Amino acid sequence: MEPNILFYIYKLPVSEALLWTWIVMAILSITSFLLTRNLEKIPRGAQHLVEAAVDGISNLVSGDLGPEGKVFVPLILMVTSFVFLSNLIGVVPGAFSPTEDLTTTVVLATIVFVVGHVAAIVKKGFFTWLKGFFEPYWFLFPINIVGEISQVLSHSFRLYGNIFGGGILLGIVYMLVPYVLPVPLMAWFGVLMGAIQTAVFTMLAIAYIQMKLE
Amino acid sequence: MMEIAIIIASIAIGSGIALLAGGMVGIGEGYVAGKAVEAIARQPEMEGQIRTTMILGQAISESGAIYALAVVLLLIFSVVLPLLGRLMELL
Repeated sequence: MEPNILFYIYKLPVSEALLWTWIVMAILSITSFLLTRNLEKIPRGAQHLVEAAVDGISNLVSGDLGPEGKVFVPLILMVTSFVFLSNLIGVVPGAFSPTEDLTTTVVLATIVFVVGHVAAIVKKGFFTWLKGFFEPYWFLFPINIVGEISQVLSHSFRLYGNIFGGGILLGIVYMLVPYVLPVPLMAWFGVLMGAIQTAVFTMLAIAYIQMKLE
Repeated sequence: MMEIAIIIASIAIGSGIALLAGGMVGIGEGYVAGKAVEAIARQPEMEGQIRTTMILGQAISESGAIYALAVVLLLIFSVVLPLLGRLMELL
């Protein structure tokens, strides 16, 4: 499972996943800059798209976290758009999904984990938060710790496993039947599974943050 | 050489058995989807909420299969492939 290193910038090794992460970041930054350049009171053209995305995520977050969850909307929107574009870019021939690399998904899950705990400390205070690890009995502390770690693990492995498994299956089909058959499979694993896994990752991120805030 | 071959063969068998978890999870998720269809048929106006709950439940119960996949990938990529290289050198 060693990364496929393409080239070095001074001493920084640039793997395939890192290069495509940068490309996805560039696409997202340029698109959001172009789409939000001149916003108007009455939406017109592409502004509808931006408003629909922000509204959808904002409704999803405030449905679970209540009105105080508005602070998490930018984070969740970032995670959603990054994961969605990363999954979709795997359909382009020659491209590599950044989410097909375990590092990317572990980083995303860790961001959600740290944000959830920091928000819990800010909301409940340090000692109440610490006491949460000793609930319902003090000797269950190790089990609570394992539960927290496995949350990050399963959150990241779910996305990685689905995308990577689909990629392996597509590779096998390519070897056996190189024509016609890979196209519907690509639509299924690339586009549909990518969209479903994005929804799952987003909803789980919101659910995990809510769980820590309670 | 024989020992390495036996290790590789038993890891292959073990990986196959571990992926049985995927089949079990498939049964469970199908059951969840069937129940969700029943719920939507009874109360079509609650469709959005039922779908969200269904996908969340399926995603969490998928963890078992994901752990099995992680174990299999770890076995194949970090144990079998280096051993296969050693075996090729010996042959």
